[in-house]
Amino acid sequence: MTQQARNWLLLAPAGTLFLVMLIIPLTVVLIFSFGERAPSGGVVPAFTFEQYANLPARWTAFKNTMTLAPVGTLSALIIAYPLAYFLAVKVDSKWKTILLVMVIVPFWTSILIRSYAWIFLLGGRGIPMVLDWIGIEGVRLINTPFAVLMGIIYGYLPLMVFPIFVSLDRLDKQLLEASSDLGAKPWRTFLQVTLPLSIPGIATGCMLVFILLMGEYLIPALLGGGKVFFVGNALVDLFLQSRNWAYGSAVAVALIVVMLITITFYMRLIGRLGTSRDDVSIM
Amino acid sequence: MKSKAYDSESQSVDRNVIAELRDVSKSFGDVLAASDLNLSIGEGEFLSFLGPSGCGKTTVLRILAGFEVPTKGEVLLDGEVVNGLDAYNRPVNMVFQQYALFPHMTVTQNIGYGLRQRRPRLSKTQIVKKVTKALDVVQLGGFENRRIWEMSGGQQQRVALARAIINEPKLLLLDEPMAALDRKLRKEMQIELQNLQRQLGITFVLVTHDQEEALSMSDRICIMREGHIVQVGSPQELYDRPKSRYVADFVGTSNFFSGKITNLTENLVSVLLENGMSMQGILGGELTVGQDVCISIRPEQMRLHRQGDGLTVKVLNRIFLGEHTEYLVTHGTLGDFLVLSPRQSELNDVPFNRGDEGLVSWDSSIALILENN
Repeated sequence: MTQQARNWLLLAPAGTLFLVMLIIPLTVVLIFSFGERAPSGGVVPAFTFEQYANLPARWTAFKNTMTLAPVGTLSALIIAYPLAYFLAVKVDSKWKTILLVMVIVPFWTSILIRSYAWIFLLGGRGIPMVLDWIGIEGVRLINTPFAVLMGIIYGYLPLMVFPIFVSLDRLDKQLLEASSDLGAKPWRTFLQVTLPLSIPGIATGCMLVFILLMGEYLIPALLGGGKVFFVGNALVDLFLQSRNWAYGSAVAVALIVVMLITITFYMRLIGRLGTSRDDVSIM
Repeated sequence: MKSKAYDSESQSVDRNVIAELRDVSKSFGDVLAASDLNLSIGEGEFLSFLGPSGCGKTTVLRILAGFEVPTKGEVLLDGEVVNGLDAYNRPVNMVFQQYALFPHMTVTQNIGYGLRQRRPRLSKTQIVKKVTKALDVVQLGGFENRRIWEMSGGQQQRVALARAIINEPKLLLLDEPMAALDRKLRKEMQIELQNLQRQLGITFVLVTHDQEEALSMSDRICIMREGHIVQVGSPQELYDRPKSRYVADFVGTSNFFSGKITNLTENLVSVLLENGMSMQGILGGELTVGQDVCISIRPEQMRLHRQGDGLTVKVLNRIFLGEHTEYLVTHGTLGDFLVLSPRQSELNDVPFNRGDEGLVSWDSSIALILENN
């Protein structure tokens, strides 16, 4: 077997999977989005932009997704960074593994079950009741954007912690000593050495969480209670309830386009951070 | 050549004292890394800490840098106790073993790092000027905007050096800076470091396990063993007048013959060796009758010849080293030892071959009697 044939063989399983599970369905969705709704549900082939013209009807779903996904990503980052820093830099190595496992432990239970726990916590007999006792009355948490945000942060925190932890853990601690040796106080060492060198971890974590959030369905469905819904919920509704496949396909294509645009801008930003660290370090 | 006189008798320094260790000890848990160290470092001096790995030399350097706080004792810098002073507040800079250059910065940014931390701030033009000068000193002009990973090991070391000296530290600490370089580059850097030290007048404190490196560069060497300072002195002092077997063994090569002192007289002292032979030598320290000692004789102080007086030996091996030839010889009672023969005497005489018999002799006044430890 030639080297090239062997390379193709290595790619074959994943390549087939991608083709069958990704490329073909995407193509189908794209074709459907130009079709029309069949009277009995499903789709009738056509070439019309009618579905795309109808997109503004689902504006709320896009608005919710486009605000809660970035806000959720940023909140997760703000909470995850200090935690990752603590685990990577401050913790004694013998505790490190144990604490890391504790970060993963929630993953052992399905997100569905954990979200039900949140329904209880945020619902009328949870936190609001406790607040009631101490005199703060009339607080409603469940089925609000706040509830969805809580669920998002809770569910995606480990995905943010890990890449940042890895980049901080790999950071040569001698660089921190060198910085201190050259006269930088601890917080300046953080700003000039630790933070710029952990940018790859931050970038990966944010990307991972953001992309998954854009397609999130479960958390808004459970904690948003039909009041705070994402594009993902709209899609379920269109495909399964109203069985309007053509319109659903158009919404899906629109989501993919929005995502591609956002990610392109994001990559540009990260790329620029990478090359213009001069400004960071000259501070 | 070295203009400095080799008169700095052990601990005392004939210069202004820039740094001092007073009864400094450092323990990590149960491990005593440094124990009751006393040492003065003179201004403008090139001092080396020499010892095998784990002897505590790096700990001393880290204590001077401010990365470790001594468990006991005082560290003085320019006359002031600096025990509690953080590394970033000390006028001391370090060249790290793996250089520890910032990978996200260019050469210029790395070198200017220390200057950018100064408060009040230096102007950008001042920084640029100083960085350019530092680049010049380490001969890296033209590499300003290179990335660290684009540089070779030797170049990286120069960047590390420039980054440290640009701050004009009171002490420049070097932690095995040559360890990662190949042999030829190491030799070049040794000479360059020495020139640099003289040119800048900065006090250099080097840590190394390479005796050759310490001998060739230092004004004084501090030999360490298991957290203790064993002996401090100029390279020549340590080589010619080691105070213990450990030092004689670590600095240069020597033949050792163990025994007990039988007779202490004015000049020559008699030692009864373990093998029953009796030898004479001079005292290399304060020793008493009956003490376990060893006689140390450097291979180059022995002569291998065919005629005259001497111990009859058999040549076991011969290694040609260019300017010298090294012979491993064996004697019926003394066992195996080394004799170094200069090229000249080899040319004048027929060289010895493996299996040849010869006579070995030396001057009893160069046979050093040392504490056997």
